[in-house]
Amino acid sequence: MGERDFIDLLELQARIKESVQDAFPGRYWVKAEIASWSPRSNGHCYLSLVQTRGGKSVAESRAMIWKWHYPQLTQFFEETTGQKLQAGITVLVRVQVAFSELYGMSLYIDDIDTAFTLGQQALERKRNIERLQKGGYMEMQKELALPDLPYRLAVITSKTAAGYQDFCNHLLNNPEGYAFQLDLFEALMQGEQAPASIMEALEEAGNKDYDAILILRGGGSELDLQCFDHYELAIAIATCPIPVVTAIGHDKDVHIADMVAHQAVKTPTALADVFLEAYEAQDALLDRLAGRISAALLQLVSRQELRLKSAESSIRSAIQNRIGALEMALQKSIGRISRGLTQKYADVARLSDRAAHRIKFAASARCGEAVSFLALKEALINGSDPRKILGLGYVLVTGKDNKVLKTVDKVAVGDRIGVRFQDGSLLAKVDEVFSERTDKSQTA
Amino acid sequence: MSEKFDYAKAIAELEEIAKKVENPETKLDDIDALVARSKDLLKQCRDYLRTVKERIDSIEE
Repeated sequence: MGERDFIDLLELQARIKESVQDAFPGRYWVKAEIASWSPRSNGHCYLSLVQTRGGKSVAESRAMIWKWHYPQLTQFFEETTGQKLQAGITVLVRVQVAFSELYGMSLYIDDIDTAFTLGQQALERKRNIERLQKGGYMEMQKELALPDLPYRLAVITSKTAAGYQDFCNHLLNNPEGYAFQLDLFEALMQGEQAPASIMEALEEAGNKDYDAILILRGGGSELDLQCFDHYELAIAIATCPIPVVTAIGHDKDVHIADMVAHQAVKTPTALADVFLEAYEAQDALLDRLAGRISAALLQLVSRQELRLKSAESSIRSAIQNRIGALEMALQKSIGRISRGLTQKYADVARLSDRAAHRIKFAASARCGEAVSFLALKEALINGSDPRKILGLGYVLVTGKDNKVLKTVDKVAVGDRIGVRFQDGSLLAKVDEVFSERTDKSQTA
Repeated sequence: MSEKFDYAKAIAELEEIAKKVENPETKLDDIDALVARSKDLLKQCRDYLRTVKERIDSIEE
């Protein structure tokens, strides 16, 4: 067996190193997924980069970041992307291909393209949002309703989070004295474990009789917000049967957890306000009802007062009308009476005048009559004095009984009659009687 | 309170009372009782918002 040509390992490695260095003289931007990530105590960070296709690794390489690059590089990356440099993420890194005789090939990373990672994140996020939209997850929580008076609240947060105390103070020491029941479900709110931890708490609280579940990040690093864009966490929130209110607290953008939640606010105080405002709204409703009732009551009272007033004024004006009418009637009566009286008085006066007149007239007539009568009588008396008449030549004839004869009827032939004269009488015998009335005559 | 306070029921009753008081046809004689009832309900509702319900429930049970 002849001796073979050979070189020793070191020489081989040295040649490879030389070839590699010749073939890859500069630096190259390489896109790869970080498969493992191990910072060491010596300050260097060792990692492995892979490329997968269809779920299988199709390329793999060792890589490292020297300790003089490591702190700046990781800090810059985390600050820019809000994401930790760790296994599982795809990055665009600048590498120098190096070959060590002892360790073989390795890629020295000295720069990282954060814009690429941001783009990746945005892409990933966009894809997640689209998937959630397609699955109808965005609307699920919105269809749930917070009760009018949310009272039993489950808070998922880290007990030590500064924001949690703010939240408790603001909610429980509210000036109106609204009461709440608050239960804490502790969970990790940052880091890789956060989504799983939050999902566990969500499931536990979701099985109980809460009015709302609150996810409160409550401070801490602005990094690590990635977990609130986590797809499975988003689904867990969306499918929770109880309304979930988030307060993740990042002004720059909205997280997927916020999008799928029933309601999202920025700060712990705002979170407490969601519930306080629900109570304030109820208080306001009570105030409105009380206001309506007292306004209606007031209106009712004033309506009654108006009615009373109008009744009073109608009564008053009716009384006044009545009094006016009575006064008028009275005046009219007085007028009539006085006119009547005047008339009567005048009539009476006229009558009495007339009567007086008549009396006077009658009296004087009577007087005149009496005087004439007396005069007549006197004349008659004077005239009928037989002596006077006898003096005139007349005689008075008397019959048998010595009574004056005024007619020849009672005288018969042969009767003795007396004839008286003024100065004496004689007794005669009737020889013949002539009656003018009967036209007969008696003769003896 | 022997019966558990029903906030929603109380609100509904208050609404009814408000409507009745607002109705000019409601008799004056009934108003007094309605107003007294509304005061009672309003107080109970306002208290309810400020009371730890669990405690009340457990006392009642």
